[in-house]
Amino acid sequence: MRLSPYLAFAKKSFLQKSAYRFNHLMSILNTIIRIFIFWEIYRTLYGGRTEVDGITMSMVTTNFILSLGLEAVFGVDDYYLPNRIRDGSIATELLLPVSFHGRMLAGNLGNALFQLIFHFIPAFAVTVLAIGMEAPASPLVFLAFLFSALLGYGVLFGISFLMQMLSFWLLNVWAIMTIKNVFVNVLSGAMIPLWFMPDWMRGIIRFSPFSSIYFTPVQIYLGQLSGREILFRFATQGFWIAVLLAGGAVLWKKGQRKLVVQGG
Amino acid sequence: MSFIEVSNITKSFRVSRRSAGIPGMLANMVRPKFEERKAVKDVSFSIEKGEMVGFIGPNGAGKSTTIKMLAGILCPDKGSIVVNGYVPYRQRKAYVAGIGVVFGQKSQLQWDLPVIDSFELLKAIYRIPEEKYRKNLDRFLDMLDMGSFVNQPVRQLSLGQRMRADIVAALLHSPQIVFFDEPTIGVDVLGKETIREFIRELNAQDEVTMLFTTHDMQDIEKTCKRLIIIDKGAKMYDGTLQEIREKYGTSRQLVVEFGEEAVVPPMENVVITDIEDRKKSFVFDNAKVNINELMSHLLSRYNIRDLTVTEPEIESIIQRMYNGEV
Repeated sequence: MRLSPYLAFAKKSFLQKSAYRFNHLMSILNTIIRIFIFWEIYRTLYGGRTEVDGITMSMVTTNFILSLGLEAVFGVDDYYLPNRIRDGSIATELLLPVSFHGRMLAGNLGNALFQLIFHFIPAFAVTVLAIGMEAPASPLVFLAFLFSALLGYGVLFGISFLMQMLSFWLLNVWAIMTIKNVFVNVLSGAMIPLWFMPDWMRGIIRFSPFSSIYFTPVQIYLGQLSGREILFRFATQGFWIAVLLAGGAVLWKKGQRKLVVQGG
Repeated sequence: MSFIEVSNITKSFRVSRRSAGIPGMLANMVRPKFEERKAVKDVSFSIEKGEMVGFIGPNGAGKSTTIKMLAGILCPDKGSIVVNGYVPYRQRKAYVAGIGVVFGQKSQLQWDLPVIDSFELLKAIYRIPEEKYRKNLDRFLDMLDMGSFVNQPVRQLSLGQRMRADIVAALLHSPQIVFFDEPTIGVDVLGKETIREFIRELNAQDEVTMLFTTHDMQDIEKTCKRLIIIDKGAKMYDGTLQEIREKYGTSRQLVVEFGEEAVVPPMENVVITDIEDRKKSFVFDNAKVNINELMSHLLSRYNIRDLTVTEPEIESIIQRMYNGEV
């Protein structure tokens, strides 16, 4: 039921994404440059060795291409609600006979699809041709990777969703969003592959929502997890999605009563 | 039960109070001070189906807040609102499908996309059947003369064009109720006239129930019969424009142009002033002086070339109401 309005929202953000072409080209370049920089840093750290603590350089490369590539695709808009509250356009949003959450997700998914086709694929092609990467362990594992990446998106969306709800009270959420992004960047494996974290820390991170975003899919892709473990990771990802969305929904309910429409 | 039933609604906001400059900022950081401000105080009214009601008041009177509560965006602190059987803030999704809202200061259109794309999006959101969408769109584009700019991105439109596009956006799904919050703000005279004409026609032909806020009394005079005046969050007046005129605007001015120099002796209850050589003004209270008698008195005694009766401007009456003079 009522799917078509959400498809329309997804289509709209897909189309809107193409409005600023130069900016888009630059953002592809940005992803490629970041992958190269991280690759170069780790190549230097590896100092010609092919393996450190059982982690090959090629696994590290694969980690960066996949997690930074996925990061470009995921790109959840953290300021979707905060911006609308700050400039008062939340008022016109609430006039639409659709679920605000559904609309938010649909808009982000439209964006993600655009990024997948026009950002991930070119950036992926360039970097793989230049520095190469591991092939997926098996076709079945590749499918599990895709599913896990989808759940990873759900977790990232859930974190952002929950944090955005704070803007009902705070009005300006820039600082806490920045802190959140530091957590996501460091603990999801996008900056430092989690293999290199101390053991005690990895034990904690494993159960945090952050490692569910990029590192779990990467581990599955590389065939590091057994079938049983993969199922356990899916469950962990699903658990976090449920908890984060439920928390966000509670705050949304409370926030709506507190809503202040700014600017006339 | 009326179509729109508002009973004793109250809404207050927390306003930050901070003295100016750096000392003020520092004090605010250590101990922020807030003040409760009542935007709407115990307001009640009811509106019947098909009515068109003007909602006026000075800046900060609580008009927009009331509209936002009626539209289901804000939740009243106290009191209740029932519109067409719905409680707006509780049944938001179902309720808003049947209403249209135009915010003069906030656009519903997609900034980067052509106007027509925004309309197409609304068509999908409201699930408007193709046939109805075509019919409404063609009709509105024609009435508001929008053919020339529907394919332009919103960011390239003039304010008047954008406002017209926003009005169409709010009406494509044929809502039964439309709230206009300052639909003519910042629009030029010609544009205002087009918008008023459109609003009148829509109310007359489609029996759409309308409530609109404005600062421009011309908007009200040219469209509404009924008027609600609100000031400092409280309702001051609810009735017809005619009643305001009768109750508060009983003074009349009779301007007489004589065929020759005339000397008019003083009359009881009438203030006579010279305007030009052969033109005089007679100002009197309609309740105390019979206008027919005054006119026949003048006509029988003097050679009169022309005479006109004017009522006081509704604007000046309302100004006096805000000031508490009437």
